[in-house]
Amino acid sequence: MLPALIVLTVTTIYPVIYSLVMSFFNWNWGNRFNFVGLRNYIDAFQSAEFWSVMGQTFAFAIGATTLEVILGLGLAVVVNHLRFGVSLIRTLLLTPLMVSGVIVAIMSRVMLDPLLGIVNYLLSLIGLPPSTFLGSSTTVLTTLIGIDVWWQTAFGFIILLAGLQSLPRDPIEAAQVDGAGAWQVFWQIKLPLLSPVLFTVIIFRTIDTLKVFDIVFGATSSGLADVMQTLTYRTAFSYQQMSRGMTYMVIFSVIIMALCFLYMRLNRSEDA
Amino acid sequence: MRKRRTLELTASYLVALVAILLTLFPIYWILNIALKTQREAFAIPPHWIFTPIWDNFEKVFNNVAYRTAFANTVIVTALGVAIAIVLAILCAYALNRFRFRGRELFAGWLLLAYMLPEFLYVIPMYALYQQIGLYDTHIGLALVYQVHSLPFAIWMLRSFFQEVPRELDDSARVDGCTYWGILWRIYIPVTRPGIAATAILTAIWIWNELTIALALSFSNAGTITVAVASFRGYAAVRWGEMAAASILAILPMLIFAIFAQKYIVSGLTLGSVKG
Repeated sequence: MLPALIVLTVTTIYPVIYSLVMSFFNWNWGNRFNFVGLRNYIDAFQSAEFWSVMGQTFAFAIGATTLEVILGLGLAVVVNHLRFGVSLIRTLLLTPLMVSGVIVAIMSRVMLDPLLGIVNYLLSLIGLPPSTFLGSSTTVLTTLIGIDVWWQTAFGFIILLAGLQSLPRDPIEAAQVDGAGAWQVFWQIKLPLLSPVLFTVIIFRTIDTLKVFDIVFGATSSGLADVMQTLTYRTAFSYQQMSRGMTYMVIFSVIIMALCFLYMRLNRSEDA
Repeated sequence: MRKRRTLELTASYLVALVAILLTLFPIYWILNIALKTQREAFAIPPHWIFTPIWDNFEKVFNNVAYRTAFANTVIVTALGVAIAIVLAILCAYALNRFRFRGRELFAGWLLLAYMLPEFLYVIPMYALYQQIGLYDTHIGLALVYQVHSLPFAIWMLRSFFQEVPRELDDSARVDGCTYWGILWRIYIPVTRPGIAATAILTAIWIWNELTIALALSFSNAGTITVAVASFRGYAAVRWGEMAAASILAILPMLIFAIFAQKYIVSGLTLGSVKG
């Protein structure tokens, strides 16, 4: 117990406090820093860039989570119907989760190249117009959402499939005896029973997509698309404005914490 | 009725097939490009049939920076998994065994540590590591990975430990076993598959992690994801090498996944689905 506590204290509590303290200073590397009070927070809240990046981060998270949960649930329902080969199918569908985000990003750059990429070629085969994908500010966010959907849909799928497989049989059979159709059974019995699992998936995916870094950093040329974590990286490591970067992270962490508390609250009421 | 069922089943298999094709096509295509010459890789319409060449893989193998990064990743992953598993076993056992105040608080702390954004930790750790000389070292990196790995491992192992029948360790205590003895002779052997699942998922996570590695390592301990990220500038031109480097980086985890898929599924679904 104790060793784990020590490691966790050094690696989590210390940085959190340090970030919090430094967000009230104007430290930009070096030895000099002055107390500036709430200056960094006021600057952040008045900065148009901060709000626009925050907006993009949420747009990305909401878009990606919604699609991933719907597709994951759909796939889980379909695979749950199957009679044989389920474990093979599950393994194959799981592969994207084994791939590092930065490699997903590099793969996307190659496949989604506007001129030489395979995807635009395949689109032309079925008569669709080519897209600039990662190359222009109008399409980049949608493309990133698409990439994340390829990468992470399996997470929800696996968990929801396990959830469906462990649903109690009695209420479902009772409804069938009463003459409910497959559609009705799904919406009125299975989905409500599945809701705690569904909720877990939604929260985990929301937090994870809010924190997105790898695919945005790897797949886009600088400045075309930014999310909170890439903005912080640039601010702290490229512009060396450490305090400002930490301020961004403190504000952002408050949002993540709120989601965590929501999760814990609802989780506990489930148990009770 | 019978006919409708067959139809439904066929439709379901079709959907699954499409999903599998969409899932695997990008990986197949990248492998394709890794085995092509530069000119063939750029060809539009693409050549579906071609003579594979191994030049790209050779170039990547001969790239010292890539080889170093690969070795670094192996070391950091091994260290990170070892630290997480050892500490988590002790911690999970203590959480199960002894009732103490603040357990709820501790659980909340774990969840938050796991969920908070990486840069919140990484900027202060960067400053600290520069001062105490842990910047760009294997152990330094492995330690910061615990922010994510340790809560995850504690969580997983705790639920595996909870499934150990209580009578088993009561009887061991009657026979005069110490707490250490019970952990070592009962808990660890009984939950070995669970420990394996935890170690595998932790390894995959560390192997693939970019954010922390990017901020806290450079040429000395830089991992494979950092190396690949640094190539991204010329992804536009040297597709073949990029593709080969990517395939080599994901290959170990793919092989891992094939052999350990049962563990991975049980690990991922644990906790969120209580059967």
